[in-house]
This record gives sequence, C-alpha cells and structure tokens, in this order.
Amino acid sequence: MTTLTHRRNTSRQLNELIITSPLEPVTLTDDHRLSLASRFRAVAGTEHRRLDAWAVEQAGRPSTPFHWSPATARRVLGNASLRRVTHEPTRSITNAVREELDDQLLRAASGRTRAGSLASWLARAPHPVLAVVSAEAVNWTTQVLEVARGLDDPFEVPASDAYYDVATARTTLRGRRELVVARDNTRIIVRVRSGAPGKSAGPGLRADLIIDALAHHDGLASSRIIGLWPEAGVALSVDGTMADLRAGARDLVRTAVVQRRARLAVAA
Amino acid sequence: MNVVDALRGDRAARPLANTTSAAGLRAQLEDGIYAILGKQNPTAPLVVRASSLRDVPPATDLSSSALGRLRGVLLTQLLRLHCVGERIDHAFDEAVEAWRGDGGTNDLLGRLEQMDNDERARLATDVDAHCVTMTRALGPLSSHWMPRSAVRASQRLAAGNVVLRDVVDLMIGTNAAGRSSVVLLDVTTSPLGESAERAMRYHALVETLRTSVAPWRTSAFSTATGDLWALDVDHELLARSADEVLGVIHDLWNAQ
Repeated sequence: MTTLTHRRNTSRQLNELIITSPLEPVTLTDDHRLSLASRFRAVAGTEHRRLDAWAVEQAGRPSTPFHWSPATARRVLGNASLRRVTHEPTRSITNAVREELDDQLLRAASGRTRAGSLASWLARAPHPVLAVVSAEAVNWTTQVLEVARGLDDPFEVPASDAYYDVATARTTLRGRRELVVARDNTRIIVRVRSGAPGKSAGPGLRADLIIDALAHHDGLASSRIIGLWPEAGVALSVDGTMADLRAGARDLVRTAVVQRRARLAVAA
Repeated sequence: MNVVDALRGDRAARPLANTTSAAGLRAQLEDGIYAILGKQNPTAPLVVRASSLRDVPPATDLSSSALGRLRGVLLTQLLRLHCVGERIDHAFDEAVEAWRGDGGTNDLLGRLEQMDNDERARLATDVDAHCVTMTRALGPLSSHWMPRSAVRASQRLAAGNVVLRDVVDLMIGTNAAGRSSVVLLDVTTSPLGESAERAMRYHALVETLRTSVAPWRTSAFSTATGDLWALDVDHELLARSADEVLGVIHDLWNAQ
C-alpha cells in the first residue's frame, strides 16, 4: 500500500514530517535494478528516452517543445544561488543570483557552452529579460531559503539533480531535489514546486523517490520525500517504502510505454 | 524617507508573528462557501482575484481600459527590474522587452503591437512618468530586505470549487524571523480608492492562508498621485477581507 500525506507548508509541519519519517530505510538490490532495466528494454524505442516526474505527472503525454524563459530558468539559477548563499551566509540573495548569472554569461563568452543551453540563451537575451530572469531566480532562492532556515535538522543543497542511466535500455531518469536533510542514518528529500499540486502529484513524488534511490551508489532510498508547493501553501509527502518505490518504478515504465505508443501513432 | 523605509518602520516595534489566525480564517471561508454553494458544484471553479474586489470600470470606455491595463502591466515589469537593482534608462522600451521575454504572447501584447505611432508615444510618455514617480518614491531596495516581485499565490477552497489567486507586486521581509516582518506592496497606476483598500486586505488574507503566518503590513502605492496607504495587519482586517471574498463568491455563483 502506497503512502501520501497532506499538510500545510509551515516550518512546524515540515519538521514534524521529518521527525516522523520511517527510521529503517529501504535498499534497492542489483536484482531490482536488473528487473527495471529489463522492463525498460522491453519498451523498445529508436531515440534516447529521458524520463522525470513531470513526464509521469503528464501521463507520458507529449509536452510543448522546451524553450528557455525566466520561468524555466529560475530553478537552475535559483538553486545554484542557494548553494552560494548557504556556503557564505553573509552573501545576499540578490548578489548570489547576480554572480551566478555572471558565471553563466562568462561560460557562454568563453565558448564552452552548447547551443540551446541556459548560458547560450542568457548570452543572447536583452538586458531587461536578464533582469526578469534575476527577479524570478531571487523569488525562487528566497522561498527555498525560507524553507531551509526553518529546518531543525542539518541539510545540504545537492550539487545536482539525481540522474540514473538504465543499463542497455537507452533511458535516462532524472529526479529533482532541492534539499537533502540528514537525520540519523537516513535522509529526507525536499522538493519545491511551482503552482498548486494536481491529482498526479503523488506519482510525481514517487518517481523522484525511486530515481533518487537508483542514483544512490548503495541503492539506499531516502526515508521520505516531501514536496512543497509554496504558492499553494501545501506540503505532500511520500514514505520511502518498498511499495512506494515499486509504484514509482511502475509509473516510469508506464510513461515510457505511453510515449512509445504516441510516437508509433505519429509515425503511422 | 522613501516608501520602503516608511513601510519597514522601527524593527523593535514589530509584534510577534501571528500564526494563529490562518486556521480560523480558512474555517470562516469554508463555512461561508458552504452556505453559498450548499452541496452543489459549480461547472468550473469560481476564481477570485484582487481585481474581483476592485470597482468595475465603465463599460463604454473600453480603449482607455485596455490602455490602463497595458500601463499597469508595463509598470509591473519596471518594478521587477527596479527590484533587482537594474538601472532603467528607457522605461517604455525596457518594460516592453521584459514583458515579451517574460510572458510570450497574449491579447494585451497584441493590442500593443496594433497601436499606431501616436498612441504608442502617448503610452510611452505615460509609462515614463509613472516609472519616475515609482523609482523615486521607492528608492533603492537593499538586498538584505529580501525583496521579491510578482509573488504568486493560489489557494483552493471547498474541495477546489473556489480558487483564490493573487500576485503581490512587491514583498519584503521574511517569515523566518519569529517577528512579524513581511510587508506587501501593491503598486497601481490608478489613484487610490476604496477598492484599493479591499485589494490590500485581500493580499494580506491570501498571504496568511498561503504561509499560515499573517504579514505585518499591507500597503498600496499610486504612481498617479504618489499616495501611499499602509495598514497594519490584524485578525479583524483579515476577517473583514474573508467577508468581502465571500461576497464576491456569492456574486460569481449567482452569475453562473
């Protein structure tokens, strides 16, 4: 049986969710990985597949082509700025965002970025758009920092999202995460989302949960994943139980199946 | 003293954060909505915005209404630029560029594209004047006040049958301090009136429901007159806003 808990997004409720997380973490074995890989291999495809919680929440429906905008850039820049602020707490959020933006522009100027990357888009964006990008990133960093400062337990801002390449299945899984809270021998993942949670928010969290466990070198699942929707003031959480991990894996495979069917329909 | 200094006031005089009102307000709204809707479900969720609480503009003056909205949208973009310390030299052009980069295309942007040179020049002069008033009044925003602009909120009530949506133009301060220090500022290009006061209360209500902590102050600044109105947020103000929201929901339900 899967789990899903609904709470208000307050420091007290968030700390309660962390304190009450399961103490015995689940570990994924090589058999689990092999089983998942064989299921993905069974869903043959001509292109490399990239799956994440968003694809699961959209039930594999094809989304509009991705393009950079202040809204799509805010998480990348915001989280990088958050790392700067947490490493040096005297640094202001606005300055951290500005430094991150400068770094991106420098990377683009040095020619070390590929076409279509955030840095190359920023390098071509006019000044007013860069300012709106900064404003969005400041909003993002502020809201995640407010969450982080309310935590009673030590936390870290991960250097990147969790990625897992499924062996010989031409599939990459991406699990997003904003904060990782350390508690005893376990860890709890905190994800921050825009907007309000929909009916598929639970499956989305389970997808992030299983991808994070697969990406862990020992297959150790986090004991709980907490999704925060600050705009809606809502916190949802899913426990790191084997049932939830299995459900997350099933949803990812189903999403791959739906995507393949959609591609076949287009090809026909 | 500029607007933000005036709003931030004396740090020592700030009260403890009000963390107890949110639950009662939510219950007041849920009970009130049940009294209006009963067990029926609207065909689409009833959406309440700050604009729902403002006065209805005269229906005959459609072009100036669209111009007013354009001016408001462009000034909001300029506020975002000012918030991150961007120097504004050509207010109109920079606002349009920021808007295009931010939101893509919409009807209002289409209206802007269709304007002839005279109309465009008039709007540009208007936006320039409002921008000068705004930037002079606000002054530089210190990054230590944690200013953020266009802060969105969305609250679902009555099992999703009612949605309260809001965008606060400028928010400063933080809830993490234990003391009440969040200030909300609504920047408008219209003169302030009774409806601006209702919008100020609405911003405070939605922020309280969103974070479960009442903000310290809610305020409105008019770039047309340079007036600043500020209200300290207490339970009475929030409960009054909840009543006003229920009034809007009643009207929306009857219109369905």
